[in-house]
Amino acid sequence: MSDGDRIVIVGAGVAGLRSAERLRELGFDGEIVIVGDERRRPYHRPMVSKQLVTGQLRPMDVELKPYVDVDAHWRFGARATHLDTSQRVVHLPGKEELWYDGLIIATGVVPRHLPGAPRHDPRVRVLRTVEDAVSLRRALTASNKPAVVIGSGLIGCEFAASMRTLGRDVTLVGHAKAPLYRFGPRVAEAVTETHEKHRASLAMNSEVRHWISTKDAFGLHLTNNQLIVASCVVLAIGSVPAVDWLRGSGLDISDGVLCEPTLFAEGAEDVVVAGDAARWPNLRFDETPRRVEHWLNAVESARAAAENLMAGRRLAKPFTPLPRAWSSIYEHRLQMAGMPALGEDTVALADGVTGFVRGGRLIGAASWDKPRAMLHWTAELERRLPVPEYTPVAEPAAELSPTAEPSLETEALPMLSAQAAEQQPYVPTEALPELSEDMMFSDEEWLRVGQGV
Amino acid sequence: MKTLDRFRGPRIAVDNDRCEVYGICVWEAPQLFQLDRDGRLRYRRQLEEADFPQAAAAARCCPMQAIVLRGMTDE
Repeated sequence: MSDGDRIVIVGAGVAGLRSAERLRELGFDGEIVIVGDERRRPYHRPMVSKQLVTGQLRPMDVELKPYVDVDAHWRFGARATHLDTSQRVVHLPGKEELWYDGLIIATGVVPRHLPGAPRHDPRVRVLRTVEDAVSLRRALTASNKPAVVIGSGLIGCEFAASMRTLGRDVTLVGHAKAPLYRFGPRVAEAVTETHEKHRASLAMNSEVRHWISTKDAFGLHLTNNQLIVASCVVLAIGSVPAVDWLRGSGLDISDGVLCEPTLFAEGAEDVVVAGDAARWPNLRFDETPRRVEHWLNAVESARAAAENLMAGRRLAKPFTPLPRAWSSIYEHRLQMAGMPALGEDTVALADGVTGFVRGGRLIGAASWDKPRAMLHWTAELERRLPVPEYTPVAEPAAELSPTAEPSLETEALPMLSAQAAEQQPYVPTEALPELSEDMMFSDEEWLRVGQGV
Repeated sequence: MKTLDRFRGPRIAVDNDRCEVYGICVWEAPQLFQLDRDGRLRYRRQLEEADFPQAAAAARCCPMQAIVLRGMTDE
């Protein structure tokens, strides 16, 4: 990419913003156009199910701050409808065609639909956008009957906690045996305990059998024969990639957009993918392409995608993060590092810290209110999961012409050397947990925050 | 915030009402942020130019978006 070029970013969430920011940091001097289907500037989405739904913060408080001037043209309320990679054009409503020299796809995910749920009923909602939170608050004030959330993942648990914080009755319905069970039995037990302590009702191992919708009340008949009358029902059963607009583009969108290790989309030129929609092989773990639906991954992949788009496919570097994530449930902090989902077995690493093991190798960690220990185990994971050496196959120069047919290209596949992992002298930030309070500065130079634990 | 305004140069401010002490900033910028044994976060408020990238990384990655960088330009 060079001066006079235009980079189009589709998706105006955190990944869209952070990729634009990185382009400018790298000195990109051309035009940046950011297309987003929501009608507002990028905001901090993790607060939707917590501070926004409780009313602790207002929509204007959650806007994300850019750290450099992104100098972009913003197209809010515009949903891309189609991509033509051979003409290098993004189609917008009204037959508008937006040409690009480089494209960053950052359209993220949308909440998954629950078959049978009456989504046309205003009392049945999802929790993804600021508008969702605002209208859910309105529904909550209209009735003081209990709220119900279906899905016992992070959003479900966060929403239940938000309801209890407001003093509202809430029932969490999930088909797993315990909430957040995928983070191991120890975390699940801690989450269950805290829900019980705060008197949120749990209906686990159950699903909705019948939806009963009348003018005055909304009822749910569960498979455990429980009948719940609700003011509103939130569906929090996961999400699916927002890639429908890429149908017919030639990209593989079977689960997000299939990418090379460098986040370049397979089957297109000068197209990179960032955030929840990217399915790429993280070579730190293996060569299987996967999506990572975590906020920090959106931030980091956005920067990597921007860097690689600027560098070009031949010089691009694999994106090999150590994924990290967090959630707050009531007064507790849940943190994760690595890929707990790949674990075949769990092990107690320390008090409040669960390790996830695959093939005898530590591959992830989850902690409950242990940020200090988590720093240690994150560093430990980084040390134990080094990034293998990567040798991309250089593409023949003739095929770099922008008009080349995608089908004629030889894919640049990574060559992984098996011994590389052992040979690579990886220098982790091992010193972290040992940092003593007075290591570098005297007390007066430091400020303190936080209540302590 | 009054005390912070005494410093004119580039500086960090952490919103105490927002910070939940996850320690993500410590991971991103260990020279600027530390976790105390009592579970509190400590940070160095004055920034040298060499600290800017780390400070921005910490602010970008903060789960609560509680870190504010001030005085980075001639404000």
